[in-house]
Amino acid sequence: MFKILVVEDDRDLNKTVCEYLDRNGYEAVGCLEANEAYNEMYGNVFDLIISDIMMPKIDGFEFAETVRSLNKDIPILFMTARDDFRSKQRGYGIGIDDYMVKPVDLDELLLKIGALLRRAKIANTKQITVGSLTLNAEERSAVLDGEDIPLTVREFNLLYKLLSYPKKTFTRSQLMNEFWDAESESGSRTVDVYMRKLREKFEDCKDFEIVTVHGLGYKAVLK
Amino acid sequence: MSRKSSQKVGFGILRFITFFAIISFVVTCSFLLFFTSASFDEVFIRRNAPLTFLNIFLLTFILWVIDHIRRKITIERPVKMIKSELDKITKGDFNVKIPRVTDIADESNFNEIIDGINKMSEELKGVETLRTDFIANVSHELKTPLAAINNYGTLMQSPDLTEEKRIQYAKSVTDASRSLANLITNILKLNKLENQQIYPVSKPYNLSEQLCECMLSFEEVWERKNLDIETDIEEDIFINADAEMLSLVWNNLFSNAVKFTDMNGKISVTLKKENGVSAVSVSDTGCGMSAETGRHIFEKFYQGDTSHAAKGNGLGLALVKRVVDITNCEISVQSELGEGSTFTVKLRCDEDETV
Repeated sequence: MFKILVVEDDRDLNKTVCEYLDRNGYEAVGCLEANEAYNEMYGNVFDLIISDIMMPKIDGFEFAETVRSLNKDIPILFMTARDDFRSKQRGYGIGIDDYMVKPVDLDELLLKIGALLRRAKIANTKQITVGSLTLNAEERSAVLDGEDIPLTVREFNLLYKLLSYPKKTFTRSQLMNEFWDAESESGSRTVDVYMRKLREKFEDCKDFEIVTVHGLGYKAVLK
Repeated sequence: MSRKSSQKVGFGILRFITFFAIISFVVTCSFLLFFTSASFDEVFIRRNAPLTFLNIFLLTFILWVIDHIRRKITIERPVKMIKSELDKITKGDFNVKIPRVTDIADESNFNEIIDGINKMSEELKGVETLRTDFIANVSHELKTPLAAINNYGTLMQSPDLTEEKRIQYAKSVTDASRSLANLITNILKLNKLENQQIYPVSKPYNLSEQLCECMLSFEEVWERKNLDIETDIEEDIFINADAEMLSLVWNNLFSNAVKFTDMNGKISVTLKKENGVSAVSVSDTGCGMSAETGRHIFEKFYQGDTSHAAKGNGLGLALVKRVVDITNCEISVQSELGEGSTFTVKLRCDEDETV
């Protein structure tokens, strides 16, 4: 069972979040302030941290920074009333993984936690398994039904990205920025070419599909 | 006599002495320059000295009077006027608009001060109307969901409630609190935009990309409603503007389009650039609105159709309008009742900023 640490100074909010997580198959531990959280983390291993920003004594930024300096991989989710861009910028700068503005929808929180944990697992094992397809980031290999499918580096990276975030649509520019050099002359339509090639290569794979979203971008949909 | 007016007389005398000193100095210099080689007998000098002195005195007096009049016109009058208007503002009358002084009187740059004060009173008036309208509207909008929460809470305390009812009431409480939360978020955002003079931070950025990314955040909703999405977004259009503020505009327009379009409807988004103007259009096949509604749609808390009141809080488009005003864009709406609406935002973008 995944263990989640909830750091939130409002007693009621903390309690309800923890209870909701407990009811949905997680083991939640609530802390009212950062020092308490440090103590908890000393004796336990957590899979994910949910933290408020505005807290007495040690604020969420400082807390996240400390946690990040000790553990590079643990997913941190900020749950805060502050919705200004600067706070988000600062949070992501420290290395948090997601940001939710209060009041949070508990169902959405569950979705985000699920996605964060899945990505953390991918990051840890460097491997994605979708039905009969296995992508291994270290070997940069794609194995479908025991058969190796040859991919170029860029094709592999694109597919790995899409499958790491299933159902999330990436715009062409987002993909370009990540996988092509800034100096690259090719227009964002180059992405279309790669997507076509990927579709051809995985024609036989029935476990996922690359979907074009209304001229906006691409996403992978698992079946 | 008050201290102020005696001070004024003191300054008057001081100015007189200053003028006197200057004129004496000039006359002495002239004498030294022109009459050093000439020799006058003592009687002549004795006779003419007092006359020269009187002349200087007279000149000083004339200059002093002219200066005094000049000061009256160019300084004291505008100061008096500004002061009386400022008194009005202090008393809470923000309908003050100070007329600019004439160009002759403007040598002391009073117009800059006057413009500043006019701008200030304008802003204050804005805050004031916001405050009065706001209190009336907000209390209504806040109290309605609160009353619902309160009532359902009371109902849920009754011991003989069926499980089905209890779940239904709890859901209603959640819904009401959610709409309350949305309202408060919007009020705070609008308040921030209204009450403070926010200066947009303009930077060139890729508008096409921003539109795509904003739209994608509604992907889940449009999939659930099975909406047909049509996009015609010209690629890589760069504009020089405040990206964060404009994203408020797109988010509100998209969320409205998604909100007011029924199942299986269609939403189209276009971005076109013509003659240095980028035009973003968001069309839907939703319920549309009458021309009358269209005129008021950007007003705070105005909702075209009260039957849709539950879906929004009447602040979204007011937010949009405010951002559009701050960032010097234009927004227009075309709509037909029952057919759908099209919102168009026009942004000027200078050619040299296209990358």
